[in-house]
Amino acid sequence: MKYTGSEILIKSLLKEKVEVIFGYPGGANMPIYDALYFYEKKLRHVLVRHEQGAAHAAEGYARVTGKPGVCLVTSGPGATNLVTGIADAMMDSVPLVCITGQVAAEYLGSDAFQETDVVGITAPITKWNCQVTHASEIVEAVAKAFYIANHGRPGPVVIDITKNAQFEEAEFVYKKVVVKKLKNPNNFTKNDVLEAAYMVNRSKRPLLLVGHGVLISGAEMEVSRLTKQGQIPVAATLHGLSATSWDNPWFVGLVGMHGRYAPNVLTNEADLIISAGMRFDDRVVGKMSEYAPLAKIIHIDVDASEHNKNIKADLPIVGDVKTFFKNLLPLVENGHRENWRQQFNLLDEKEKKAEERRSKKHKEDITMDEVINMLSKKTKGESIVVADVGQNQMFSARFYDFKRPNSYVTSGGLGTMGFALPAAIGAMIGAPKRETYAVVGDGGFQMTVQELGTILQEKLPVKILILNNEYLGMVRQWQELFFDHRYSFTHMINPDFVALASAYGIKAKKIVEKKDLDNSIAEFVKSKEAYLLEVKVAKEGNIFPMIPTGTAVDKVRLE
Amino acid sequence: MLYTVDIVTENKPGVLYRITGLLTKRKINIERINAYAVHGNGISKIFFTAEVDEMMIETLTKQIYRIIEVTEVKYHQASH
Repeated sequence: MKYTGSEILIKSLLKEKVEVIFGYPGGANMPIYDALYFYEKKLRHVLVRHEQGAAHAAEGYARVTGKPGVCLVTSGPGATNLVTGIADAMMDSVPLVCITGQVAAEYLGSDAFQETDVVGITAPITKWNCQVTHASEIVEAVAKAFYIANHGRPGPVVIDITKNAQFEEAEFVYKKVVVKKLKNPNNFTKNDVLEAAYMVNRSKRPLLLVGHGVLISGAEMEVSRLTKQGQIPVAATLHGLSATSWDNPWFVGLVGMHGRYAPNVLTNEADLIISAGMRFDDRVVGKMSEYAPLAKIIHIDVDASEHNKNIKADLPIVGDVKTFFKNLLPLVENGHRENWRQQFNLLDEKEKKAEERRSKKHKEDITMDEVINMLSKKTKGESIVVADVGQNQMFSARFYDFKRPNSYVTSGGLGTMGFALPAAIGAMIGAPKRETYAVVGDGGFQMTVQELGTILQEKLPVKILILNNEYLGMVRQWQELFFDHRYSFTHMINPDFVALASAYGIKAKKIVEKKDLDNSIAEFVKSKEAYLLEVKVAKEGNIFPMIPTGTAVDKVRLE
Repeated sequence: MLYTVDIVTENKPGVLYRITGLLTKRKINIERINAYAVHGNGISKIFFTAEVDEMMIETLTKQIYRIIEVTEVKYHQASH
């Protein structure tokens, strides 16, 4: 039996077990939307308010489920609006399948209405993309897209479908596709495992760095066992947060530009760095030539092109963290590294004192760390935190005590302001049984604020915490520290956020005084419906520790 | 250092575009380039020569290998 290309697409998505599409209709994807009309009960469609929101929502969904997020948008501006989200997913290894409508094949290259070279524009920011001009090509394109998005190192893919292919009829026989080069991500030998075990067992001061790859490969158990059995301190990158629980006694916190003092300083004391599913981003290593000078480096990554890219590895391992650690664990001897662990505690004390000095400066004002600490306590560290970009992101990374995996969702590599609100929508749809909190600043919130409309229409109980300092806080902090307090265009005059939320039928409250914080957060957490809580925080609060750009990790500043 | 990179790939649209994109983003200029389809078996061969930092050539070729359609990448030093 023959079906239209549009129906073939929907049937293919169902074969790939897609449950939800984040999308926006327009001229060049109308036939697909018409087909979707008949599948309303089988396939949920979330109508966003801007295509960028669709991409971030799909990212949020993918980050909490591990399944590709799916976007459906029209040609031209629909597709170009998606670009920021696709680039974001590429940087953070998030699987997305983006379907863009395109003008009919006969108009390609004629500068037709809403025509853009989508394959051209998205090539540098996709793992793979293609253009489909016939209905008969759709099945293979979809099957290949899903396989590629979610095998090896995950990433976004784009399928650009011309309008004639959506109308045309073809047979529908679904066939899965296997891409040979992505089939087996593991390319390490028995000797590699033996050598790694030898390096670990011999090390006196090892430091395990866990990244996003631990969560993607589902290696949380292996990480926990390795750290306890080997007595190996473990620090997390921004995307590795929640890969090991806060109560693991060997967990020493976040590393990187605004990470904890101890793991940053002691990176340069370590004699072995075991890097698990992380890519030595410049925000993690600071000055590359002065990174971990005493350490041998074992670098485990599914993507071979990450080895020796930023930091030279003594033992590069091509493979996923889970498989490699499963092989390694039986060879790891029981460790006795309490003294090494103790060094982290000593430096933690130093950091705590600096924090105390800082909070004394803000006796009256609410500070961001207080807010996140309280949110962490009232939610018992069990919620999903979707952070935006900037100070709000770093405070939530530092002060929320994550107990469960896949709980910290943020835009790391691209650093996309406006990420949190739509991504929280996707995370909530992907994990409806968990609580989701969007933590945003007053700046980033206004970049995708229109998605409040999506929350309204979908009746989603998303909680939104705005940390309002009336500044683009991170840029202001840099202006204070490195540009002699010249606050060039970082001050913001904001709308009434409570009234704005009310316009969308969302419950909202604003607090300015410290004494109201406890009760208000309790009420916020307890709410079963969407709730926006605006907290007026200290205007010139800073996030520390901080590794200034281009300096060594052990030169991390406490104030 | 001047290198020549030899690539074998499925003969599909967009592959050369992705390869040159990896050069463009590093501001690498191509000195010589040659590409042809091998008749009958659906593959293409691409060779280009460019000035590439010694520290970068390995990462660059590995990133070229990440392109889904690419099946083989090699590099060697070239002369002017």
